[in-house]
Amino acid sequence: MNSSQLFCRMLLTALAAGFSGIASAQPAEPIKIGVLTPLSGTYASLGQQVRWGIELATKEINDAGGIMGRKVELLFEDEEANPAVATPKAEKLFQVSKVDFLTGTVSSASTLAVGQVAERNDRLMATTVSFSDAITGDKCSPNVFRVNAKAGQQSVALAEWLSKAKPDAKVFYLGPDYEMGRSTVHAFKAAAEAKGAKTVGEVFAPLDNKDYSPFFGQIRAARPNVMYTSVAGNDTVRLFNQMSEYGLLRNLTVVGASGTVTSQNLGAMGKNAEGFTTGVGYSVDLDIPENKKFVAAFEAAYKAAPDLYGADSYGVMYFYKAAVEKAHSTDTAKVRAAMEGLAWMTPQGKKTMRAGDHQAVQDMYVTSLKDGRFKVLSKVDGAAAIGPDTCKRF
Amino acid sequence: MSGFIDTLQFVFAPQIINGLSIGVAVVLMALGLTIIFGLLDVINMAHGEFYALGAYVGVTLMAIGVNFWVVLLLVPLIMAPLGYMTERLFIQRVFHQKDRHILTLLLTFGLAIVLEDVYKLIYGPQALSVKTPIGGGSEVLGVFFPNYRLFLMAIGAVIIVGVWLLVYRTSLGAMVRAAAFDKDMASSLGVPVSHVYAGTFAFGVALAGLAGVLLAPVYSVFPTMGKDFILLAFSVVIVGGLGSIKGALIAGLVLTQIQAISSLYISPSWTDPLVFAIMVAVLMIRPQGLFGRLGHA
Repeated sequence: MNSSQLFCRMLLTALAAGFSGIASAQPAEPIKIGVLTPLSGTYASLGQQVRWGIELATKEINDAGGIMGRKVELLFEDEEANPAVATPKAEKLFQVSKVDFLTGTVSSASTLAVGQVAERNDRLMATTVSFSDAITGDKCSPNVFRVNAKAGQQSVALAEWLSKAKPDAKVFYLGPDYEMGRSTVHAFKAAAEAKGAKTVGEVFAPLDNKDYSPFFGQIRAARPNVMYTSVAGNDTVRLFNQMSEYGLLRNLTVVGASGTVTSQNLGAMGKNAEGFTTGVGYSVDLDIPENKKFVAAFEAAYKAAPDLYGADSYGVMYFYKAAVEKAHSTDTAKVRAAMEGLAWMTPQGKKTMRAGDHQAVQDMYVTSLKDGRFKVLSKVDGAAAIGPDTCKRF
Repeated sequence: MSGFIDTLQFVFAPQIINGLSIGVAVVLMALGLTIIFGLLDVINMAHGEFYALGAYVGVTLMAIGVNFWVVLLLVPLIMAPLGYMTERLFIQRVFHQKDRHILTLLLTFGLAIVLEDVYKLIYGPQALSVKTPIGGGSEVLGVFFPNYRLFLMAIGAVIIVGVWLLVYRTSLGAMVRAAAFDKDMASSLGVPVSHVYAGTFAFGVALAGLAGVLLAPVYSVFPTMGKDFILLAFSVVIVGGLGSIKGALIAGLVLTQIQAISSLYISPSWTDPLVFAIMVAVLMIRPQGLFGRLGHA
């Protein structure tokens, strides 16, 4: 080896050492989180709250130093509330963008479909919106978590209230004709009938239905004094406004799923939604310090009030943060183990992730619309509302 | 007995009136379709997209502050030249070839696909809602009914009668029917056949556009809105007899009444398959439909 070769080798060694020194001084690679949510279509207003909630929490987390010193980076995709659109985009987020975690799906059909994609890719996902009991019931997945309240939890609180407010309830059910609609109607019917309510009819309308007037014939024929509905987004706007035009809201108590009327679609209905009552896991009015702080920050950032989707989606970021910090890793198996049984703080107070079915346990409320604002009427403890664990897959 | 009358008034009457308001809307769509087929022998697969175009033109005009009633007058005037140009630029080119049924069907089908995506690019996939120009409701036969639907029925009836008179009672209509019956003879008698063809296509397109604006407050405006309606309109035209105005009117009203009444007993989502089943039955038993063709009646 001559001196010039030796010099070259020394130079290379020095350079290599220098580069590794620079690399370790750079901030750690960001944690990537995919947000697959409807940004267009009938559920776009729900996706908007999801986006706001997640962005607000992410900003707070990044400002406070990130998760284990790593910044959080969000990647948004539009799933159009359509599982056929959601699955290829989930595949892309997992395989091309290499996201560590996925959230945002709104439609229960999308959540179930994307859950299978997550399982195949060995990654974790959480829904913050989907209601269908099946997601953490008979179609549960070891890779899917739900941080929001499912249909069954909402129904327990609402049915309890209905049995006192309307002891002679004759209930007509109208749901959107897919997984979520069938599941919510089934859950509330079971809960209400157990409390003595009579069922006088049920009908399912397609998602994104434009004209509900052909459905009114069966409502008239059944002569209900209570109607339960679980349509959401712009569908609610059309349903309530058309029922009002046809004079069907007179002498009718309208109850429904917690996502049926939210701050996002209330403006387009005004008086027609007045008196709507629901069982829900969140209300802007909740007297919890975390909620006061959350509402103030949310309203300052977006000039709009948060609804249950905004709150639950804000909460999922802290859920993921707590789990990664507990696991000291973003590895799927370690994070899953950390998530099971995890308790964390949200604007709705403390939530606990049940290990057996990956369903969050939380307090439930009955709220009713008065003068354009939801008022809390009653509360049911989380443990009383959760119901049995029916997941048999893990 | 009083229970029966009450059911009749409270359950059936509103369902029948509602079916009538939807029926009028379907007939408006079917009229343009059947006239274009009756005269030009062209099955216009893009008819639903012209209906959507009318609605989008209307929404755009209203967005820049034009009053709904003025828009209602303007949209057919804007749509007619577009229809005229579509006929001269596209359909005329393949019209005189031997397999023109297939060619015009594929051409208009392609046009429909292109138009739908153009709407999506310009206006986005969201449904745009249009405020009802006449709010509130009235008591009809003791039943509360939205005013706009009542207006829809009234103006629909006026348009249908107007089209009828135009085709069967004016010399313009006589020229159109003559060109449909025997284009060579009509041409030798001085009827400008190619202009009549383009003009008729334009008329059908203008009717579709008008229907688009009229129905925008009920169904809102979105890129695939044409598809929702065109299948029903096609069924109406086939059951009524391709090319027959009378057939489109009667079949349109009967089929929507069947939908309205049956949806008391089955899910309204199932009333579309019911109509298609009737269409299949009619095609098997009486393929030419209930009534003959335009110009042949």
